[in-house]
Amino acid sequence: MFWNEKEENISEEELLSLQLRRLAGAVERAGRSSYYGNLFAGKGLKGKKIKNLDDIRDFPFTTKDDLRESYPSGMLATSMDDIVRMHASSGTTGKSTLVFHTGRDISNWANIVARGLYAVGVRKSDIFQNMMSYGLFTGGLGLHYGAEKIGALVIPIGTGNTERQIDFFKDLGTTVIHVTPSYLLHMGHVLEEKGLSPSESFNIRIAIMGAEPHSEATRKKLEETFGIKVYNCYGLSEMNGPGVAFECTFQGGLHLWEDNYFAEIINPDTGQVLPEGEEGELVLTTLCREGMPIIRYRTKDITRFISGRCACGRTHRRIGRMKGRTDDMFIVKGVNIFPSQVETVLMETPGVDKNYMIILDRKEGLDILSVQIEIRRDFFRGDLYQLRDLQEKLRERLKHVILVTPSVELVEPGSLPVSTGKAKRVIDKRRL
Amino acid sequence: MGKQISIFVENKPGKVNKITGILEKAKINMKAMTIADSGSFGIIKLITDDNEKAFNILREKNFLVSFQNVVVVEIPDSVGAFHKVAKILEDRDINIEDAYGFIMEEGVKAALILKVAGADIPRVEEILEKNNYRSIEKFNV
Repeated sequence: MFWNEKEENISEEELLSLQLRRLAGAVERAGRSSYYGNLFAGKGLKGKKIKNLDDIRDFPFTTKDDLRESYPSGMLATSMDDIVRMHASSGTTGKSTLVFHTGRDISNWANIVARGLYAVGVRKSDIFQNMMSYGLFTGGLGLHYGAEKIGALVIPIGTGNTERQIDFFKDLGTTVIHVTPSYLLHMGHVLEEKGLSPSESFNIRIAIMGAEPHSEATRKKLEETFGIKVYNCYGLSEMNGPGVAFECTFQGGLHLWEDNYFAEIINPDTGQVLPEGEEGELVLTTLCREGMPIIRYRTKDITRFISGRCACGRTHRRIGRMKGRTDDMFIVKGVNIFPSQVETVLMETPGVDKNYMIILDRKEGLDILSVQIEIRRDFFRGDLYQLRDLQEKLRERLKHVILVTPSVELVEPGSLPVSTGKAKRVIDKRRL
Repeated sequence: MGKQISIFVENKPGKVNKITGILEKAKINMKAMTIADSGSFGIIKLITDDNEKAFNILREKNFLVSFQNVVVVEIPDSVGAFHKVAKILEDRDINIEDAYGFIMEEGVKAALILKVAGADIPRVEEILEKNNYRSIEKFNV
């Protein structure tokens, strides 16, 4: 039941020595980039060899800000000629964070995705409908390559267009889907409205769910509604994308592929590495990546290692379902958004006062993002058109920056929390 | 030149009630009120017997308010009276963007409030005064 038994069932000693070898290589390769080259030289770490795994603790963390500051290619560790693909995630200040991949990076990524897909039962005979966004976002292409590697028939339909999704379910006999939990919930509503039973109308067996945090209750609900098995997949674009960790059929946590990533769990306040099993922030180092090695990346995701060996036999340790974030990022329709992105747009738009509120809600399974703003007193001319123009302008500008179309609500002055201190700016009414 | 007060309001129960309550307490007499609605919010336009006082008190109560210059003329309370004014303006390519009114004396006279485009307010008042329409500045009794 293994995609590659030697890799997945590797003994603990072998895995540790493989990690040590690869970690030393990763640090050495990272040092070739201008960003890490300068950083290591400045910290007296230039040429420092990793002799045991704990030596990595001498190296500084890498943050999203560091990635942004090294835009576009400060962390590139190879010649641009060797790069075959670039992905990007949205940036808080307008600048994206870019990740570069060599041909071997893409092939390694496809391999661990194939490993995860195989672990949950995806086979060559499957019809894999990939309902995630393609493009710069890693969700679509990441799983696409893994499923193709297994030999499944991949339908690169992307997200949205529910009617066509349903047609393909029926006409092609789709057996595996890759989807966000919110979109699958929405499809459940749509199918029921059409009088189609989600559990009896199709051949779907498996859903791979990623890009959005969700609860065990939501998983159970989707499994019952559709009569399928739902498996979690974790990843982030800085670490390639989806497939960093994957559940197996036992659904008892996500196997983090430790031959590709070195994982630490730290106290987010002190940066100290926590004893195994304690909950904290996940920190990852790419072990194999050539194009853009990243050392000790702060994911801001909160999880813990699950102790003991999984019944499936895989040696790679499991992490628990993500418990939340150490920052204020939130996810809407699979897109990562920071309140500061919204705030920047609001503050650059004449007529908008400084207090604002972001409300997240869900209607018929679809995420809705509303931004409430107050109008500046000196801006108001008593004109309805003026206010509608402002709404429209904000909607367009926000969409451009956060990639999700919000609804913009104008509210009376003084009705929003004042901006002094640490006012709570996001209210999440969704239950996932 | 006539004045109207515009107030931004969210489309929620009790919003109008709050405004009328404030005006009652301040002993301000409302002459006319109209609401332009845009879904989740609207703008209340208001003419009172003391616009200055009404503006200040609503502002004090944290409402988003603005003063606007409008054309306010007295017309007869009779069939076709508004039509005559509309015709005069049309002949001069002046566009009526918004209009409302109220009766001042049943069967005798009414006030007509106009927001226009294509000419400034003094010019419109001048045109209407030439046609024997009196501009109303204040409704103080």
